[in-house]
Amino acid sequence: MAYQKARRYDSRTTIFSPEGRLYQVEYAMEAISHAGTVLAVMSKEGIAMAAEKKVTGKLLDLSLAPGGEGMGGVGTEAWGGGGEKIFLLNNNILAGLAGITSDANSLVNFARNSAQRHLFTYDEDIPVEMLVQRLCDMKQGYTQFGGLRPFGVALLYMGWDPLHGFQLYQSDPSGNYSGWKATCIGSNHSAATSLLKQDYKDDLSLEDARQLCLKVMSKTMDSTKLGSEKLEFATMTLHPTTRQPLAKIYRPSELDELLRKYELGGTKDDQIGAGEGSGGGGGQEGGNISLST
Amino acid sequence: MNAVLQSLQPPARHTNEDEEDAWGYGNLDQRGGVRGMMVPRVPDPAAFLNLHTDSISSNPAAKIKLAHGTTTLAFRFKGGIIVAVDSRATAGSYIASGTVKKVIEINPYLLGTMAGGAADCQYWETYLGMQCRLHELRNKERISVAAASKILSNIVYQYKGMGLSMGTMICGWDKTGPALFYVDSDGSRLKGDLFSVGSGSTFAYGVLDQGYSYDLSDEEAQELGRRSIIAAGHRDAFSGNTCNLFHVRENGWEFIANYDVNELWYEYEAKKKAGASQAQAQKDEGMAVE
Amino acid sequence: MECSFGLTGKDFVLLAADTSAGRSIIQMKDDENKIKALGPHIAMAYGGEAGDTNNFADFVDRNLRLYQIRNHTPLLPAAASAWIRRSLAESLRSRHPYSVNLMLAGFDITDSTSHLYWIDYLGTKAIVPYAAHGLGQYLALSTMDKWWTEGVDKREGIEILKKCVDEVGKRSTLKFKFNCILIDASGIHHINLDSSDPIAEMEQAGKAAEVINPNPPLDVGITA
Repeated sequence: MAYQKARRYDSRTTIFSPEGRLYQVEYAMEAISHAGTVLAVMSKEGIAMAAEKKVTGKLLDLSLAPGGEGMGGVGTEAWGGGGEKIFLLNNNILAGLAGITSDANSLVNFARNSAQRHLFTYDEDIPVEMLVQRLCDMKQGYTQFGGLRPFGVALLYMGWDPLHGFQLYQSDPSGNYSGWKATCIGSNHSAATSLLKQDYKDDLSLEDARQLCLKVMSKTMDSTKLGSEKLEFATMTLHPTTRQPLAKIYRPSELDELLRKYELGGTKDDQIGAGEGSGGGGGQEGGNISLST
Repeated sequence: MNAVLQSLQPPARHTNEDEEDAWGYGNLDQRGGVRGMMVPRVPDPAAFLNLHTDSISSNPAAKIKLAHGTTTLAFRFKGGIIVAVDSRATAGSYIASGTVKKVIEINPYLLGTMAGGAADCQYWETYLGMQCRLHELRNKERISVAAASKILSNIVYQYKGMGLSMGTMICGWDKTGPALFYVDSDGSRLKGDLFSVGSGSTFAYGVLDQGYSYDLSDEEAQELGRRSIIAAGHRDAFSGNTCNLFHVRENGWEFIANYDVNELWYEYEAKKKAGASQAQAQKDEGMAVE
Repeated sequence: MECSFGLTGKDFVLLAADTSAGRSIIQMKDDENKIKALGPHIAMAYGGEAGDTNNFADFVDRNLRLYQIRNHTPLLPAAASAWIRRSLAESLRSRHPYSVNLMLAGFDITDSTSHLYWIDYLGTKAIVPYAAHGLGQYLALSTMDKWWTEGVDKREGIEILKKCVDEVGKRSTLKFKFNCILIDASGIHHINLDSSDPIAEMEQAGKAAEVINPNPPLDVGITA
């Protein structure tokens, strides 16, 4: 009965149910809670972000992925990002995405355009919160105008601007956003959030933040051993001499080195691509999951 | 992506001129212009007007010569505002009329003066009167002189470069007391105590500036306004005939009188001569006594 | 004819603009303010085509205000100058270009630096330590070239500005009255150039010398 009642209101984004709910928006959020985990921790010296890759497997040809063979990079050269989850939106802003990959690509493109337009008009990097607002205005629009489906994407944004320094934001398909010291989106996000809550301290160093990110990630992910084939990692810091924002997306080898240092795993070079992922998102979680990452 | 974004925008409005434009306020469209008022339907209205009138340039071959010659003045003093104007309309070297009303009575509290294109001033200041009345009905209080003059200046700014020609003073009494604004077709809008506009303005200033003080009595102020117009009417070929004098007080404006410029000029001359001979007589007398 | 000056110092910027307004040969006003405060620490002196000047200044003012309301922070001088330049550059190729020249002065409170931008109606922008528009360019740029040094203090800055104003008074056939402001970390202040000690007068006047900011800081409580 309840199911039937819901059916009458869940096929249109623009219509409230009698209980005052927007089902399509809620479903979009549900889609995200199956997506690969993204978490980030802020410190005085910078922000660290880790993301779980869902599309893995030894048959996957990463040479064709965004970023390709040379995944990762520093500063303006961090274009390709980690290939799947972490993207450079502007010199001063990195984003980790969870949800439908194709929707995410469209949002990344929109964000990059917004950032460039700001640079064009004001001759300065876009402030972090402004870019977040731009994206959220767009996401909100898709929950209201007829015939459109909301973006099935949640994002974590980490950035720096001269006015407010390092900032970490999170946004969801409804267009809501909020600022955090440490937060998480994607599958197991509530478990990860409570772990972060336990271990977060206000005086973390960047090194601590990196370690906390990966430690929490290792506990929330199914597999016991972490490796670069299942993980993306990035930091937002300030350049030691110029004091300008410096985005860094870790290369697989750098990430493995980091994981080995923290004794959380780290794939040996000869093992790359031979991870335990089931490939294509994994059949055991349901058919439509292959769409989301 | 753009297609998706476009579909997010509210539906595009029809650009049919007959249709109500809900984006504007009252009779004004979104940009503050007036609906239904159109510039000549030619590719370049400014060039068109330039060809046929002398409004933008002083094109001597232009068939239509706009009335340029005028002297108008207004000044603020402790007793309110004095507004004085001449009444001559010229078209080229021809005096088209000697009884033009160059003070436009916008409403009982607002006066506008007319210099430049007579039609432009008459049309837009009457239109301003309409807007002021609508303002009263909407807001249940009289419009301020600042706001009224701003409406006019916004309107003429819309038509900048398209051939409008007007130099006007908006005079009135509002909550702030007497207020005076100069507005012209360039889009300038200046708040001030004393202005004179028109071809005879230089001559009017010559008398006005030397006699002006904020503390003038009502009689002195009226006399100064009158005397300045007579001075300009005498020197400027494009000004003259008669002088209309108004006085704006707290309870609205009052028409004082219409004076014949020539008659008054000779009256002033006669007085000056009489004064001079009297002074001479006194001087002679004084010498005699000594 | 118009005349305006701008000058930066260690921890302040000065702007001065003449106060005349007229039509052809007639000066209709000698106390027209042609400096507009655009925010708590930013102001511009503008001149050019009658009508365009005030309209463009209002346009800039309202847009900077809108930015501040939307983003809870005023546009900093560098970004404001970029926006204004772009507005003029886009206007230049439109059907009704604005003919407005201006000087933008601001104090960046995030890094305590003073900024001065010289911008013309073509959309040219130059970042300058001192500058002039109008007659001042011809008559007093050399004066500033000679006397201005890096890191001048407020007193010296005003002295240089006075030299410029004097020079214009001496060598121009037109007489000008000048309106002057100073921007520093504490905001925008009126400066009386005729005073024997303008700084002391400004400090003594305290609040009274502050230029009313059209864009006051927002104090909006955030409700959940």
